[in-house]
Amino acid sequence: MASLYLQKKGGKMSKYVIKRFFRSIFTLIAVITVVFLLMRMMPEEGYFGETGTDKLDESQKEAILTNLGLRDPMHIQLLHFYSDLAKGDLGDSLIYRPNVSITKIIKQKAPYSIAIGLSSLGFALILGLSMGVVMAKEKNKLADKMGTFYVVIIRAVPPIVYYLFIQLYLTQIFKLPLLFDIDEPSSWILPTFAMALGNIAGYAMWMRRYMVDELNKDYLRLARAKGLSERKIMVSHVARNALVPMVQYLPASILFTIGGSIYIESLFSIPGMGGLLVDAIQLQDNNLVQALVLMFSVVGILGLFLGDVLMAMLDPRIKLHSSGGGR
Amino acid sequence: MKKILAMMLVLVLAFTGCSSKTVDTDTKKDTAAENTTKTEVKSEEPAPPEGITYADKQIFNSVYAGEITTLNYLVSSSTNELGLFANFVDTLVDYDKYGVIIPGLASEWSSDESGLVWTFKIREGVKWYTSDGDEYGDVTANDFVDALKYTFNPDNGSKTANIAYKVIKNGEAYYNGEVTDFSKVGVKAIDKYTLEYTLEKAVPYFESMLSYASFFPINGDFLNEVGDTFGTSNDTILYSGAYIMETFEPQNRRVLVKNENYWDADKVYIEKLKYKYNKEASTIGPELFLRGDITQVNIPSGAIDAWMQDDKKKDMVRPAIASYYTYFYALNFDPNYDEAYNPEEWRIAVNNQNFRKSLFHGLNRIAALTTGEPYNPENKLGNTITPKNFVNAGGLDYTQMGSLKKFADTDSFDSKLALEYKEKAIKELEAEGVEFPVSVVIPYSTGSTENANRAQVVQQQLTTLLGDEYIEVFTLPYPASGFTSNTRRNGNYGLELVNWGPDYADPETYSEPFATLYPESDERAGTSRYKYNFPESTTQVDENGNNIFDVYVSMVNEAKAETIDLQKRYELFAEAEAYIIDQAWIIPYRLGGGGYVASKLNPFESQYSPFGVASLRYKGQHVLEEPMSSKQYFEEQAKWQAEREEVFNKMK
Repeated sequence: MASLYLQKKGGKMSKYVIKRFFRSIFTLIAVITVVFLLMRMMPEEGYFGETGTDKLDESQKEAILTNLGLRDPMHIQLLHFYSDLAKGDLGDSLIYRPNVSITKIIKQKAPYSIAIGLSSLGFALILGLSMGVVMAKEKNKLADKMGTFYVVIIRAVPPIVYYLFIQLYLTQIFKLPLLFDIDEPSSWILPTFAMALGNIAGYAMWMRRYMVDELNKDYLRLARAKGLSERKIMVSHVARNALVPMVQYLPASILFTIGGSIYIESLFSIPGMGGLLVDAIQLQDNNLVQALVLMFSVVGILGLFLGDVLMAMLDPRIKLHSSGGGR
Repeated sequence: MKKILAMMLVLVLAFTGCSSKTVDTDTKKDTAAENTTKTEVKSEEPAPPEGITYADKQIFNSVYAGEITTLNYLVSSSTNELGLFANFVDTLVDYDKYGVIIPGLASEWSSDESGLVWTFKIREGVKWYTSDGDEYGDVTANDFVDALKYTFNPDNGSKTANIAYKVIKNGEAYYNGEVTDFSKVGVKAIDKYTLEYTLEKAVPYFESMLSYASFFPINGDFLNEVGDTFGTSNDTILYSGAYIMETFEPQNRRVLVKNENYWDADKVYIEKLKYKYNKEASTIGPELFLRGDITQVNIPSGAIDAWMQDDKKKDMVRPAIASYYTYFYALNFDPNYDEAYNPEEWRIAVNNQNFRKSLFHGLNRIAALTTGEPYNPENKLGNTITPKNFVNAGGLDYTQMGSLKKFADTDSFDSKLALEYKEKAIKELEAEGVEFPVSVVIPYSTGSTENANRAQVVQQQLTTLLGDEYIEVFTLPYPASGFTSNTRRNGNYGLELVNWGPDYADPETYSEPFATLYPESDERAGTSRYKYNFPESTTQVDENGNNIFDVYVSMVNEAKAETIDLQKRYELFAEAEAYIIDQAWIIPYRLGGGGYVASKLNPFESQYSPFGVASLRYKGQHVLEEPMSSKQYFEEQAKWQAEREEVFNKMK
């Protein structure tokens, strides 16, 4: 019976994966095309800057727009973009760092964001989940109330406020560097810690919620009746089951660390990816915007895709048919 | 999935809508030279001024928020970028700390009698160096030819090409493809060390232009070697200036080290300049300064109170040096705004001199300035369009010449006069059928709270003084992104605070926003090229029946035509400028730049020039042991002003 079920599920699974894959490709094309067109609807003066708009001659403005490829008909521009993309060429940055390959820019920046992001994610997972377990176990007691207080504070106060507080005061108290320095390991501590704070609250809240849900379920009565210890019930049953819904979001969280954190990176001078897309849009660097949107879309779509597939694999209750498989 | 997609698009749209296009473009400028031949004079190393000590370690540390996009100095016009280039590459001529033109890469030069042909003797023995400090080759006359060839090629997208091609013979024609043979362009290397420029027309400010990026040299062999990657990193440019960029990690750090082999190395005192990137530099910079981590920081206007009222901090703050950007309130002669604000009524009113003068004398500029500069607003006040110390001739500052002097020396705000003009305006305008109150539309950018505060102060102050039966002031907020295009360039305003920065060291540059129309060849012929306040639309005539715009343009043309007698030229420009201030086309307001800094640099050691990149150089400056106080700043400023006058008097 069991093997038949798995076989059936396996068949449905590959169909599901293929369907999801094509839908993802379609979504990617749609996102990129819309962003491509939106960027070309931006005012032309954005390419010259405030002073340039006044002082550049018309012939200079024309030369600049021609060099940016903006004087070609729209469909030709789009065609060039997709043919380059098909060759795996993201092109060069146009304004952010003219003539520098976009791959090179991302290669320089992404490792910083990934390193800080992953260490903060790991830190947040360990601390947040443990906190959630304690809070669920100690529901309505002091530990739970303190945890809830922490979650409420973190959720209510805008991050920039506590980031600044951490940067200005904790650096003084613990004699840590104010700004990030690649050669100074102690300068990693505070940004990682600051970035983890929000996630700790998030994971703790989720963990507590799912565990409390699980604690109210009937199978626990059976487990207790079987004589299992409270500890075993909590770890092997409640916590494990509570983790399942969270697994779905893990791939996306990991992949999204590439994007970096705007605030943290800005405050601590981390040369990562945070804010790169905003900068590129403000400068109207079309090539860079397109490349970044493509990258973030791939990451987002892949994250969700992996999350769904992981869930489908882990949770036998998930049905893979047309109305239940996708979102 | 849909959610994520929607979120991303919303984010993209939101960012697009909120993008700020604030570009800091303030630049300092120079004083025109009167000599046609210059030769080198060696000067000695100065001792520190009294009460000031130089630091033992001459290392400058800084934190910055605006990253440069390129090191291609022949393309960029951004002051932020020019600030670095100025320290990497020397120019033919340079400026000393008083604004006197001195030899740079040219050891001597002269022009022919017509002022059209300029010959420069290039300093021999000056070398190009790589980012590793290795010698690459000689700086020769040909480097200046190669540079213009690059700049005048539209494919390279130079944003400073127009500054050069407007004066160099056949420059514009070559840029536009009408001349294809570069040998016909007015730049030639006569021999290895002799350079010759031929101009389209004689301009008395040509020397001043040579210290701008459009006239920087480039090594042709190196350019061929690196191709399109020129200026994409610190090792894809060469250095002939005081500093070499040892490290350049975008959005991380820059390190500049003194070029030990620099031809004028004994005048370079700061050994190393270290810049750390931080997007929130304005927030955390002051704290870094207090911890001793950085040498200089701008104090944001919101934090000035806290510094000024703190016993420990107040002596660390001093005013920042003003730039040659000029800010003025423009009265729009071609209103193009919503019918709800009666643009046609404004059109009639603005053509009435008494109405304009009632606003001119009615605006309390100090009250408006206090919103951004509560401590020394008078310091920032500008009474003329061309700022003081911009240029001088015959030992006299331009602003002190002819009819301009009386405006330069008096505050335009005079409530009694304003009310007198108001009464006259009411009588005359009622006769023309104008219904009072006249709507005064003042747009402002929401980019900073200071803008909103200032607009409100102006609204209340003008209404209180002139009465709500006379004018009704509307302050209209617009997003910072695209602000100028949505307001000034569109004529979508009645009264707006606008600014202008000079393009060369001559008062002609400040007449351009008003006097320049599109040429006959353009389909927009006869309309304003720079779209400031469209004075060409005025219908007002003077007592001789001449349109006041035509009168102004003829005054400017007469001044422009005077290219030999510099003093006469400046006097003529001063008369033209005085004319439009007297006519109240605009209300002069303030100088650019300024604000407050905490700094261990003495700004009066710095090279000084009203135009070009000389004032952006660190050559000649020292890092001080202690930050300069406001008291020291004002003392040094007075001393510098007196010395400067003496220097120019001697040159008479």
